[in-house]
Amino acid sequence: MNSDFSVLLGEPGRLILVGLVETLKLAACSLVLAIAIGTVVGTVRWIGWRLTEPFCWLYIEFARNTPPVVQILFWYFSASFVLPTPMFMALRDFGYELGAAILALALYHGAFFAEVIRAGLNSVPKGQFEAARALGLRFPQALGKVAFPQAIRVLVPPLVNEATALIKNTSLAMAIGVGEMTFQYRAIDNFLFRGLEALTAITVIYMLLCLIAVGVGRLINRALSRHIRARHPGRAVLPAGSIIQ
Amino acid sequence: MMDNWARVWTPANLERLLVGDLFSRGQMGGLLLTLCIGFLAIAGSTLIGAVVGIMRASPRKALNIPAMLYVQGFRNVPLLILVFWAYFLPPAFGIQTSKFLSVLVALTLFTGAYIAEIVQGGIRSVAPSNLEAARALGLGQRQIHLWVVLPQAFFNMLPALAGRYVVSMKNTSLAFLIGLMDLTEIGKQIGARLMTAPVEVYLTLLIMYFVVNRGLTMCVRLLENRQYFNRLFLRI
Repeated sequence: MNSDFSVLLGEPGRLILVGLVETLKLAACSLVLAIAIGTVVGTVRWIGWRLTEPFCWLYIEFARNTPPVVQILFWYFSASFVLPTPMFMALRDFGYELGAAILALALYHGAFFAEVIRAGLNSVPKGQFEAARALGLRFPQALGKVAFPQAIRVLVPPLVNEATALIKNTSLAMAIGVGEMTFQYRAIDNFLFRGLEALTAITVIYMLLCLIAVGVGRLINRALSRHIRARHPGRAVLPAGSIIQ
Repeated sequence: MMDNWARVWTPANLERLLVGDLFSRGQMGGLLLTLCIGFLAIAGSTLIGAVVGIMRASPRKALNIPAMLYVQGFRNVPLLILVFWAYFLPPAFGIQTSKFLSVLVALTLFTGAYIAEIVQGGIRSVAPSNLEAARALGLGQRQIHLWVVLPQAFFNMLPALAGRYVVSMKNTSLAFLIGLMDLTEIGKQIGARLMTAPVEVYLTLLIMYFVVNRGLTMCVRLLENRQYFNRLFLRI
């Protein structure tokens, strides 16, 4: 085994950077979309309309119980059959791998986000929302100004977990040929024979991306729990697992 | 539309989806291989996760820090990258490996890190008053851990474990990216051969995975009923 990490400064390194940009694009777009889907579906499930309940249940159960890779393949290969032909033709010239991957990942993680957000809303006492309604706030106001601000603090850690899962799952987009980092690694391995170096590099990059996401989550958490520390100045924010000896 | 379904759901296709080329060429594949990898990985990762999770919950630094490094190292990397490591690293040291083994090892280590976190959370979730009560009753340290902490922790972590088991069963589908004949790969081949029915082929795959994973969730949920659990395993 002879590895020479200086090759990363040359062509392989350039390919990895190109892949990194694509990975970030994919992760950012699908994260925004997934949070949007999750917020809408989670809120609708929390409200619990009898009309929408079966559809939400079907969507969430199906999205959560099937592999993301198969979902990506499904949206990619059946696009030409699901979409109207002229639209598909326009998309095909443009290249719709990235779009299909974004859609599939957003739908997959949207279901997880929906469950997380519903659990967060459930953690706010029901009386808060009812009191807001009784005081004359409209439904969206009561949601946006009373329920969500209280839920969001509980929501941050599981949302960060899901966000890191999403960042990791972007690597699956290579199955349909999106040129993200894992795809570039395969290319480097196949054509430039610098597999192990490239693999080490992208492992480190993925790790850094996940750690950055965790760090950002911790900052958000600290910002959101500032009022609690202000109320109890002596109490530090509980370090995880300070309960058992 | 129905025509397409009939072309996907032929006996030959269904046989390939379920057992791969087991009867024609003696190679296991399809759903059977997926279940094989999935259950082996679940068993292995539960063992690893239990050990590492208990290490993680212990106050001793010598146990705590290696466990933390393992968890952080394996949790923050995509599973696909781990599969590639497990597949391409051993040959660099002259060790023979197989596709099946590398997927299994990668999946076990990856899920083990998550299960360690769940186990640790379960142990931490046992209320301290329980420990005090046990100590007041005169139980020793080992008795407390074995008879007070672990049983409660077990039931507390079952929902999270069910979720993780489903995720690792789903993650077996990555095997097709290094060319193992699992359910996804066979579905992809059938889709490529038919060419005109991708919606039906992939819906079939999704439904099969859905049934398996839903069944798995329900099985774990049965254990959450303590009376049922006691009758099943403890005969009381």
